[in-house]
Amino acid sequence: MSSSGASNALLPASRPGSIPDRRGAAAIELSGVTRVFGMSPALVRVTLTVDRGETLLVRGPNGAGKSTLLRVMGTALSPTYGGGSVLGFDLSRERDEIRRRTELLGHRTRLYEDLSARENLRFACVLYGIDQDGIGAVLERVGLLDVAGERVRAFSQGMRQRVAVARALMREPELLLLDEPYAGLDADAKEVVDEAITAARADGRTVVLATHDPTRGAIADRTVHMEQGRMLPGEPARRSGRDQVTAG
Amino acid sequence: MKLFREVVAVAAKDVRIEARSRYALGAVLPFAATVLIAFGLSIGPGRTLLQETAPGLLWLAVLFASILSFRRSYEAEGEDGALEGLLLAPVDKAAVFLGKAAAVAGQLLVLEVVVVLLVSALFGLSLGSEPAVLAGAFVLGTIGLAGVGSLFGVLTESARAREAVFPLLVLPLATPVLVAAVRATALATGSPGGGGGSWLGLLLAFDVVFLSTGTLVYGYLLED
Repeated sequence: MSSSGASNALLPASRPGSIPDRRGAAAIELSGVTRVFGMSPALVRVTLTVDRGETLLVRGPNGAGKSTLLRVMGTALSPTYGGGSVLGFDLSRERDEIRRRTELLGHRTRLYEDLSARENLRFACVLYGIDQDGIGAVLERVGLLDVAGERVRAFSQGMRQRVAVARALMREPELLLLDEPYAGLDADAKEVVDEAITAARADGRTVVLATHDPTRGAIADRTVHMEQGRMLPGEPARRSGRDQVTAG
Repeated sequence: MKLFREVVAVAAKDVRIEARSRYALGAVLPFAATVLIAFGLSIGPGRTLLQETAPGLLWLAVLFASILSFRRSYEAEGEDGALEGLLLAPVDKAAVFLGKAAAVAGQLLVLEVVVVLLVSALFGLSLGSEPAVLAGAFVLGTIGLAGVGSLFGVLTESARAREAVFPLLVLPLATPVLVAAVRATALATGSPGGGGGSWLGLLLAFDVVFLSTGTLVYGYLLED
């Protein structure tokens, strides 16, 4: 999908007082990104462009660098070398602008175990400056309204993941980064994740999904493969005309 | 105003977690009480010696309790990657630092009330000589400890041996606060020396330095 056109009209408006969205830019542009942990490279010269509104599937074996890639995109990690932009904002210098517009849903749900699901969402609302009125509706949407007052500590992994999905749904981020979101989930919970992706796609938002689950790839516009921290050439784009994935 | 709202949200979240887990009640308070009773028994029945050493013992108990409280505070952030959530949230990271410091300071002040009453009963410490200086010593001393603990808690969160690293970093920096707080408390409880105000001034200076430093550098420490 091109960065211009009808889909952009569906993007959420920029928040009052924030820097205006840079809509002309691609959703993600990485150039020669390398990330090293100690002496071990987790990403090696990754160059990648993801268009606005595109859903990208990242595949690869354990240790391929998928999680590191998504964490770099979400600014949880800095590139050791290389750089790029996310939603038009520089990956190193404009992290807060990227964070304002991005949700990274990873292996860990980032919930407080001694708070209830509702309290966790309330806290997220304060941090992200979101109206708290929608908490009940979003909890109902992920099927947790009945247990909203119970501590997360008593929740299964699937229920925790649902709370994290609820947080993502509340935020309506321009870029949704999903790192193995189906891990440990039952069929119902997987459906909740799929609905969140479908809703994001319908709104013209960009989604990057890293998963091993072979049954969950159909939703993507494009698939790229990673191995030993390197990006391998992906499948031809079904929707995007700008497939610029290159091996490092 | 936004910063204040974020500070309150972080502090309220930490206080709520503490209220649910009852860590202070279940571990920190018994620990502080045990330290005081053990010291009291080892020093013996000499009332003068007990009274002279009471301010130091009292603050030692508070210092150890603050280390336990900060470890617990950052444990809650690490349980399911919540600290990364704070990193990725578009909030002023100074709000996180101040909120966490405020929450632990509040918990410590409550603990101190209990500990002071215990010391008063066990060691015959007089609390009525200069109550304003005594209150000032506890409030300013607690803020200083909270500033140091909140700052270094985040540094040690990712450390492999964080239980050992945290006290190693905190204790040297907390020592000046401890010395000033002990002297101010000693003067407020009737020990000879005078000049409680100057020790309070020193405590205030430490507080300003630690809180300013934390506000400025916490964001950098939180980033990878």
